[in-house]
Amino acid sequence: MTTRTLARSGILVVVLCIAIVIGIRLGAVPLGVRTIMEAFLGRGTDAERAIVLELRAPRVLLAALCGAALALSGAAYQALFRNPLAEPYILGISSGAAVGAVLAVVLRFTALGPWSLPAAAFLGALGALALVLRAALVSQGLLDRHVLLLAGVVVGAFCNAGVLLFLSFADAESFRSAVYWMMGSLGGATWERVGVMAVVLCVGGTALLAQARTLDLLAIGEPTAAALGVHVERAKRLGFLTAALLAAAAVSVAGVIGFVGLVVPHAIRLMRGSMHRELLPSAALLGAAFLVLADVLARTVAAPVDLPIGVVTALIGVPLFVMLLRRGRTT
Amino acid sequence: MEFFVALMVALLVGCRSGASPAPATLHLTDDMGRPVALAAPARRIVSLLPSATETLLALDARDRLVGRTRYDRDPSIAAVTDIGGGLDPNVEALVGLRPDLVITSAGDARGDLADRLATAGIATLAIRIEDTTDAYRSMLTIARAIGDSARGVVLVDAIRSDLRRVAASVTGRRPRVFYVVFNDPPMTAGPNSFIGQLLDVAGAENIFADVDRNWATVTMEEIVKRAPDIVILPTGELPASSLAKLRAQPGWSSLAAVREGRVAFVDGDLVNRPGARMGAAARALHDALAASAP
Repeated sequence: MTTRTLARSGILVVVLCIAIVIGIRLGAVPLGVRTIMEAFLGRGTDAERAIVLELRAPRVLLAALCGAALALSGAAYQALFRNPLAEPYILGISSGAAVGAVLAVVLRFTALGPWSLPAAAFLGALGALALVLRAALVSQGLLDRHVLLLAGVVVGAFCNAGVLLFLSFADAESFRSAVYWMMGSLGGATWERVGVMAVVLCVGGTALLAQARTLDLLAIGEPTAAALGVHVERAKRLGFLTAALLAAAAVSVAGVIGFVGLVVPHAIRLMRGSMHRELLPSAALLGAAFLVLADVLARTVAAPVDLPIGVVTALIGVPLFVMLLRRGRTT
Repeated sequence: MEFFVALMVALLVGCRSGASPAPATLHLTDDMGRPVALAAPARRIVSLLPSATETLLALDARDRLVGRTRYDRDPSIAAVTDIGGGLDPNVEALVGLRPDLVITSAGDARGDLADRLATAGIATLAIRIEDTTDAYRSMLTIARAIGDSARGVVLVDAIRSDLRRVAASVTGRRPRVFYVVFNDPPMTAGPNSFIGQLLDVAGAENIFADVDRNWATVTMEEIVKRAPDIVILPTGELPASSLAKLRAQPGWSSLAAVREGRVAFVDGDLVNRPGARMGAAARALHDALAASAP
């Protein structure tokens, strides 16, 4: 890495740190910096410690991890599909996860305690992914991105029908829980979820970063990549699977959060070009900071009501992105 | 052309006169401010509101109830036709019961049910209950609709004296409580809701006695900060949660009340319904609080 790229990444690291500090500082209950520091040192009242250490800190960190995972996943899909509209849920991940989550809510599946819902959502996402991959493979024997895209769309539509079917049998409380889940929320953040998400992000992020050069070539075109020595079929499978697992993990712990995975990678491309060695880590950092700040707004703008995080990401993301697009055009 | 217009007018007038009902003898006003005219005291009633169903039972009008919702679980009316949910009833099944009065919830956001039933010649009585005063008024209105105003007055007096007895039996310090209407995201009952009022009667101090709204979404941070002595969790119709589930959730697990098992379970079908059993609901809240006092 050149000094310049290091410096540019440094800026994003600073932005993320500031976002995290703001995230822990602001919330429904106003707490001063001093109170927060004391809570971290194990002093202060029980309530203050619980608010800072059990509610805010894990929530902010989970937002950062999910934002990073979604941005990485979106960046990878956009290269693999060579399609700027590709986003983390493109292979039916969110719809599959929603089927799992809604089934768990409606059937009152609680065997795994606090992990019941995330586990059901994750299984649903994997189920949808398996269906999509199977459909795409059956038709050609190889992974064709057009077939894959179509398979993702139809499996997603099928899963959405399933969600609506199950919801029509749900009682009021289940309905409310399921709909809130689908709107996306970081309210369920715990240190365990932060831990699991951190592991997934490390593994998935490393796997994608190791493929940065391959992704550069695949983004140009598969024949070119093959001519330059890339084992195209294997690289694509690894890429699709890694991106899907990142998205599935994020959707399992935080519900469906749209927009981050679509727009953050484009923003980075517009600002810094599309070499994946820089694009991937930058997108992860920006995605993390973006989701942390979006969640701060979600928690505080209409307090005591938490706004659905997906609404906030779209409401602030779209204008920002349009601005970037216009600037990108004129320069 | 003139013939055509004359035909249309004749048809329109014909429709009008054909639908004219028998002269009404009972004039009521429902909670949406609409006049409700009945030719005679209602004999075939469909109740889309569980609290109104309770009231009908308390008014000894079980034999007039021809339709109920799936949420009415009183064994004595298990045989009465279930027309689905109160907010999304099966309208065909409802009309098929040939009711002369349908009691609906004024909170029905769709609002077109009354119009649709009106075209079928069926009267609707919309009820809106936020506090105990609304509940008493609904009981008097329903009593009038079945032509038994006197019994309505007796019922309301009985509930008032039940509540006075519960209030008189409160002793000692009032525990600070959080009442769970919904668990995730947390929603609670404000002080002016019937639940807030029953909590007060039962000897509890609502930790959200300062909220304006009757059904208020509150943040977990605020609940943790206000640290209730007791968490009240209704079970039944809407099982908001279980103790094990709460103990595993962020925020809830930080509450001393949850950690130390000071969670009072009350029958949600009883406490969440502002009907004729409000006296029993206040008693149940009082007993549950006494059983889990810190």
